[in-house]
Amino acid sequence: MKNILHVKLLLKITQEYVNSHFTFVFSLLFSLLFLAYSYNFSSNSWRPVVLLFFIIYAITTAYVAFVNLRIKKDLAKYGDIQKSTRMFGYPLLITILSGNIFSTSFAFMLVSKRKTAEYTFAAYAFITQLFILGIAALNLFKPYVTDTFLLAMGVFLVLSLLYIVMAILCTKYVTATEAPKWMLIPGIVLLLATFTGNLFATLLGYSLIQKARKANPSSIEKWQKIWEKILRNTMAVFGLFFIIFMFSLSVTSSWTFDYDFATENNYGALLQTPTLEYPLGTDNYGRDLFSRIVFGAQISLIVGFFSTIIPAVIGGALGAFSGYYGKSTDNIIMRSLDILYAIPGILLAIAIIAAFGANTVNLIIALSVGAIPTYARTMRANVMQLANYEFVESARALGASDAAIIFKHIVPNSLAPMIVKATLTIGGAVISTSSLSFLGLGIEPHIPEWGNILKVGSTYLETHSYVAIFPGLCIMLLVLSFNFLGDGLRDALDPKTN
Amino acid sequence: MVTSKIYLKPEKFIFFSTVYQKLVHQKPYHLLLFLFSILVHPFTYFIYRKRNHSNTYDQAFALRSQYYIEHGLVAQWQKEFGQQEIAKATFFKEAVLESQIQSTAKQLAQRKLQQQVDQDLQKEGIQQLSYDQFFNQQLTNKRFVALTFLPAVLFYVVLILFANPFLQFIIERILQSFIVIVGVATLVFTILYLSPFDPARNLLGVEATPEQIVNFNRIHGLDQPYLSQLWNALSGLFTFDLGTSFAGKEDITHSIATKFPVTLEIAVLSLLMAIAIAIPVGIISAVRPNSYLDYTFMFIALIGLSIPSFWQGLIFILTFALKLQWFPATYNPHNWLSLIMPIVVLGTSITASIARMTRSSMLEVIHEDYIITAKAKGLNEFKVISKHAIRNAMIPIITVIGLLFGGMLGGASVTEKVFNISGIGSYIVDKQFIPDIPAILGGVVYIAITISIVNLFIDIMYAFFDPRIRSKMKKS
Repeated sequence: MKNILHVKLLLKITQEYVNSHFTFVFSLLFSLLFLAYSYNFSSNSWRPVVLLFFIIYAITTAYVAFVNLRIKKDLAKYGDIQKSTRMFGYPLLITILSGNIFSTSFAFMLVSKRKTAEYTFAAYAFITQLFILGIAALNLFKPYVTDTFLLAMGVFLVLSLLYIVMAILCTKYVTATEAPKWMLIPGIVLLLATFTGNLFATLLGYSLIQKARKANPSSIEKWQKIWEKILRNTMAVFGLFFIIFMFSLSVTSSWTFDYDFATENNYGALLQTPTLEYPLGTDNYGRDLFSRIVFGAQISLIVGFFSTIIPAVIGGALGAFSGYYGKSTDNIIMRSLDILYAIPGILLAIAIIAAFGANTVNLIIALSVGAIPTYARTMRANVMQLANYEFVESARALGASDAAIIFKHIVPNSLAPMIVKATLTIGGAVISTSSLSFLGLGIEPHIPEWGNILKVGSTYLETHSYVAIFPGLCIMLLVLSFNFLGDGLRDALDPKTN
Repeated sequence: MVTSKIYLKPEKFIFFSTVYQKLVHQKPYHLLLFLFSILVHPFTYFIYRKRNHSNTYDQAFALRSQYYIEHGLVAQWQKEFGQQEIAKATFFKEAVLESQIQSTAKQLAQRKLQQQVDQDLQKEGIQQLSYDQFFNQQLTNKRFVALTFLPAVLFYVVLILFANPFLQFIIERILQSFIVIVGVATLVFTILYLSPFDPARNLLGVEATPEQIVNFNRIHGLDQPYLSQLWNALSGLFTFDLGTSFAGKEDITHSIATKFPVTLEIAVLSLLMAIAIAIPVGIISAVRPNSYLDYTFMFIALIGLSIPSFWQGLIFILTFALKLQWFPATYNPHNWLSLIMPIVVLGTSITASIARMTRSSMLEVIHEDYIITAKAKGLNEFKVISKHAIRNAMIPIITVIGLLFGGMLGGASVTEKVFNISGIGSYIVDKQFIPDIPAILGGVVYIAITISIVNLFIDIMYAFFDPRIRSKMKKS
């Protein structure tokens, strides 16, 4: 009885086992989806490409189930995963070619026994880079490519090689607390790779440099602990992956994608169904939907980012003053914010846009104004709690000014809930952006933006439904990613669980 | 002079005076009460002055001071203070004149004398009343109350109303909501007033003559200064007379009155659907945390939270209306089947939020000590959950529902556009292109008022149902 309990607990805390379970479920779900879509019910025929995908995913699922059973047996027998079982992870790495992110990340997890945060960063940086390479490669089927296409593809290839080498080096030389001195050089190179938008590389470079420089050990430990907690949460990691992937895609899209395909009318190719030249078909002006969606990610991320950071700063400052000074300052600030709080965000945005016109800047302002009170409330509650702590009292006793106390001592300590809140509200901002664009109140109609594409799609819903389906799917995935990441961050940063 | 013995007399009529004492501590109430009783004050003040003159307080004070001076105590204090001053001066190495030290010491001694005498007199029950205290004292006097009841009737009404802590809470809360609503109206009007667009140009076209534009602006009051326009808008909002819209000359209040119930009906039905689905789901998830069921539910909830409602609406139309032909694609008030899709779409995100909230709230409650006690008593799990846990977990959930309802009314505009429902949301969106200022103002402010009323209602319900809030209120 005791042994059984022991094994059960072991299964629960072994990351590989939990992950294999998870991978199995999601691979199964996707293969079922592919199976359902592979048969065309209206014309009673099979779709061969989708059927091929179904077969690949079904094989992956079966393989993962097999690995899962092996891990379980290993744990029951030896209490540890054997080396021979870990070897089964290598073939699974190939599934990256089928775009199965779940099995790929599981494979990376399985093959290495020592999993520092750096190893995970390197693995995900590699996966992200490969995905971007794959997406950009679809441009090869276009009649022509941009001038920078070949150069960019070469850089991507070199970078993905660098990341896989880094992943191997990390397992060999990097421990949880330190890294060898020569890691400084790849660290700096990785920081330079930030310009491709691959933030996993940035994270990897930053933490390598910190460890190689033997900086403040307590801050290294803190950094390591937080990331360990976040990376333990599988869904949060996938959320982070998709966000960074989208970000990197929108940074690099102008080098590999031709903007003209997304905006120039092409009356020779109106409302085409998906082909290799137009992977997601074309819209009513013959514009390539795939390019439009890729460029649409830029706008969504920019608006989402700014309409979160602006109210976070303004609301945070108001909340901090309100909570710190209390009394009538608090009363005046919070009561006036109550007025803003009483109007639903989207209605206020409509009113502001009605008054000042529909364009990107006005949209950001309109979405920001409505979000100020929630941030102010979050910050105020934190500050009120922190203002009574001893370290604030001692800072005051040492003669620090109010501004110094607020910005040096209180605000840094109350950032965690604000970060979580911001992550969770970026998703809302992305939805609001596309909703307002859909109503004709957001981004100007000629700019490729997901809401604008959907607006076109809604008029061709009956005949060309894919125009409406794909951008919506993108919105949903991006928002879902932000929500997963936000949940993960909350679990990791919540002081209650520490 | 009044002695403190009066306080002890049991038959005194203290109702008004205690309420008055409680309220006077808060500045706004003090001012309000003073204004309401302004007719009484000259009269009372006159009596107060008169009594003060014939007061023995001054006499007693003088007598007592005399006593201290005669016994040489004052001189002694003065000497001590002088020594202290000299010690201080030498310590700081300051050159201070002898006369200066003497005068400071004298001042200090006099102050001490004053304090000493005051304390002594208070011990004997002799004190000097301030006017406020005197007025409060008079409120215990039945004759005074009877005499001043008519001139200060509002004053007494306030006191009677605020004697009850519940009533005080409700009145304060209503007042607060009213101020917020006026603020909302002012804010929205100001935003629309600052608009660089010219409704006259947009409506009459580019060929409009200057006379036509001036005429248009005069008819709609757009040529008036900001404050008078604001006053017109506010009074129009509260008297339900917003005039006619810029385009089409329709009566705005009438249009809103016909469109509002449609939105409200869909919103309320969505809310009911959300509650009916989300709360059981949340409870099941919390009772079996980290199980497959929990993961599945929470995953679906997160998808529901992430799905853009207009896209969900389009997908629903595509599958259920165009492909399967179960429901009509657009809304029709005479066909209840056409209501189902809008209700589900509008209610999805709120269902997800409530389910997540219920789960976390339940999880928090389930780990409380009293639940363990209930289990230890041998109560079965169903009873523990249904009798002990749910009740306490519901409190934050209801607050969240109130807040989410507001977001839902705001988000209704998108859903209404997708399903072609002529509700208040799509009305606002239609009017914004001109921009039709009174129509947008009316739509936004009436929605804000509805939300405020719902939240007000929820807050007041709490005061009645939550024993913790009740006892807190009584204590204060």
